[in-house]
Order: sequence, then structure tokens, then C-alpha cells
Amino acid sequence: MTHAVKYHPGMMLMEQYVEGTLSADVALAVATHIDLCPHCQRLCQDLHNDHGSQLAQLEPALSHNETEFEQMLAFITEQAPQQKPVKRVQGEMVTVTINNREFKIPRALSRMAQQHGKWLQLGGIATAKLPAGDKLHVSLLYINKGTEVPNHTHLGMELTLVLSGRICDENGEYGAGDLLINSPDDTHTPHTKADEDCLCLSVLSAPLKFNKGLVRLLNPLQQFFY
Amino acid sequence: MLESTALTGHHDNSRVTTRMPDRMTISAEPHIRSGQWEDALTFVAVNADKAAYAELFSYFAPRLKAFGMKMFGNEQQALEMVQDTMLNVWKKASLFDASRGCASTWIFTIARNVRFDMLRKKQSRKDDISADDLWADGDYPEQEDSSSDKWETMLLSEKLAPHFDSLPPAQRLVMQKVYLEEKSHQEVSDELDIPLGTVKSRIRLALDRLREALDDTRS
Repeated sequence: MTHAVKYHPGMMLMEQYVEGTLSADVALAVATHIDLCPHCQRLCQDLHNDHGSQLAQLEPALSHNETEFEQMLAFITEQAPQQKPVKRVQGEMVTVTINNREFKIPRALSRMAQQHGKWLQLGGIATAKLPAGDKLHVSLLYINKGTEVPNHTHLGMELTLVLSGRICDENGEYGAGDLLINSPDDTHTPHTKADEDCLCLSVLSAPLKFNKGLVRLLNPLQQFFY
Repeated sequence: MLESTALTGHHDNSRVTTRMPDRMTISAEPHIRSGQWEDALTFVAVNADKAAYAELFSYFAPRLKAFGMKMFGNEQQALEMVQDTMLNVWKKASLFDASRGCASTWIFTIARNVRFDMLRKKQSRKDDISADDLWADGDYPEQEDSSSDKWETMLLSEKLAPHFDSLPPAQRLVMQKVYLEEKSHQEVSDELDIPLGTVKSRIRLALDRLREALDDTRS
């Protein structure tokens, strides 16, 4: 990768991701970032090792489970072990096509990306929902070359992971792997440069406001981004 | 080893004969030796060794339960997590790759994934995000060469240790960092400032040499 990832998830997000306590939607963005970022791959490995040793050093609870454990052990060893490693299907890189451009999708996102909804286009911007979100809205966001996303203020949290290409806002430039987190009240005007488009994974928290029909009707742009 | 007698005692003795003889010298030591659980996993992977598995079980099951109690706060779910996790350890031992972390790390990732999927099932949808999406490590998708992997784990039984000295210095250095200092391939690559591919190929070369050396001692 020629581009060095500059914007990483914070340590707290990484910790929660490794523990498995992060909300699945956000974890999906973090996992996809890690696929694109060698630095965070190592960090992630270190965190896993750390949790592994913590588990090994855990003081076992004074157990009243002797019988249960014996039954469990007997049950398990009656099962047939897998003799050969089951391999994930390799070599088939998942791609997503929009605006006649084909984008490769990182491993963590590939199963979800294959199930993306219909692309909705508005000017140079297109979004396609992913089925993933429960509390948050997860979608692919494509921004054509030389396009400006109308200035918006976040009513909730906005998490944007650049999957390919480059996008800029008032605060800087973001390339593949960079993770931008905007909290409520952050205002920005993201745009692409004249010569490079951009595909992102977008995770948005959905304030109740957006779920009420009337606001949606009054604000087609908001509806579009959800 | 000794502490697992209570768990294995009520079973028939036939499985004891499946154990490799040199394991006896290793397991005679009552302390937790570094590499002990990695060895045990290797024996489970190679010949479904129930005694080695019982050792792993008697150490990790109570700790996994303590971990589960912390995460779930109730015993029933904690025990469900222990059973699913330890069942995966039994079934998938052949996927364990010591070069990518030690046994406790691997078992932690399995427990974490089991717990994650247990919680997700409550709001279950088929298209839901699963642990397999989020954590690649659990099933080692990068595994390309299972025969060399098997040899990598076999190494840990220390059979090949005496042959280390006969390796070319560059290969020996990489092997030492990966197997004795338990570093990941990536860490070794960074530390020696050589490409990851070189680390992997030196390991493969060294394994080939060691395999040869072992064949010679056998014949």
C-alpha cells in the first residue's frame, strides 16, 4: 500500500473491539480499518495476546461444577474432531461496482457488502444501505470526482472509513484506511478532488428525529443519507 | 497433568496408550511450562489425544467460567460459553497455529467469538454481523500450507530442538525469534528489517531442513 493510514481508531475502540464489547456496527468499521492498516493489525495482535494471558492467569472461581465439567468433558471428547482445516473460500475478492468503477472490498466487510441495497444517487453522491445495522445505519457511500457533500451538522455520531480513493474536509485529507469520527455538533463539508473519487463505509447513529416520518419528508437530504 | 487425573480417572485407560512416549518426560513436570498448552493442542490436533485435551480442559474450563461470569453475570450462560468454547478447541485444534500466538490467545479469541455470537443470536437475523466477519484470526484464513503448519506445531514438542544448531544462521535467527521468543512473523520482519515474505520463506526452508534431519534420525 503506497498510502500510509493516518487516522486510526482510538485505543478505547481497539480495546472494546478485541474484547468483543463494541457495538457490532462500529466493530465492523474497526475490523475493516484493521484489514487496511498494518499498524493496527499488530496492535490488535498485541491486545489479543494480552487478553490471552489474562485469561490464562485468571483465578478460577471456586468451582461447584465438578460434575458438570466432567460431563462436559465426556460429551466433548465424544465428538469427532475436524481432521482437516476448513478453509475460507480464497481468491474471490469481493468487489462493488458503482459509476462504472469496480472497488475491491476488504475481507471484514465482504459478506455485508455483497448484500448491499439499491444504490440511491443524488448528483455526484450515491449511497447503498448494508443490512448490518441494528441501532446504527451502515451504508456504502460513493462520492464522484469533484463533488461536494452539502454542509451538514451531525445530529449523532458519524463514522466514515475510506475504502478507496480520497476525500477532504476542513480538517484534512483522508485516504484508504483512514477512519474519521465526527461527534454531534461537528460541522463539515467533505469534498473530493477533481481527479479522484471515493468509496467509504459510513456508520451513522440515528437520532429518533430521523425515524419520524414528517422530518424525513421535510428534509430529503437527511433521508437520503440514511 | 496431575490435576487432570480426577477428570480422566473414571474413563477407561485405553486412551493413555495413544499418547506419544516422549510426552511423558515433558508432562512429568508439574509446573506450567512455557509451551505446555501449545504442545497439548498439537497432540489433540495430531491424534485426537484425549488425555492431552483433558489437561487443557481442566486448566482452561474453570478460567473460562470465571471469564464468562464476568461477561454474562450468570452461571448458565457462562457454562454455555465454556462448553461451546471448549468444544471448538477440541474440534478445531488442527487450526491452531503457534506462530500466530500462544494457546491462551487462541482460546481467548474462540471464547470472545462464542460470546459475541451468543449475544447476537438474541436479535438474530441471517444477514447480521457475525464474529467471523469481525475477527479473521479465529479460523486462520491465511493458512495456505497445512503440512508446513503441522510441522510448525510439531516443533514445539522439542523433538527438533537439537537440530536447530545445524541451520544456516539467517534461518536459525528467524526460527529462534518465532519459536523461542514467540514473536509473530510480522514482528520478526520488523525487527530484522526483512520482508514478511522472507521471514515466511526462511521458516519454510528451515522446516524442510529440520524435517530432513528428523527423517535421518528415524531411519
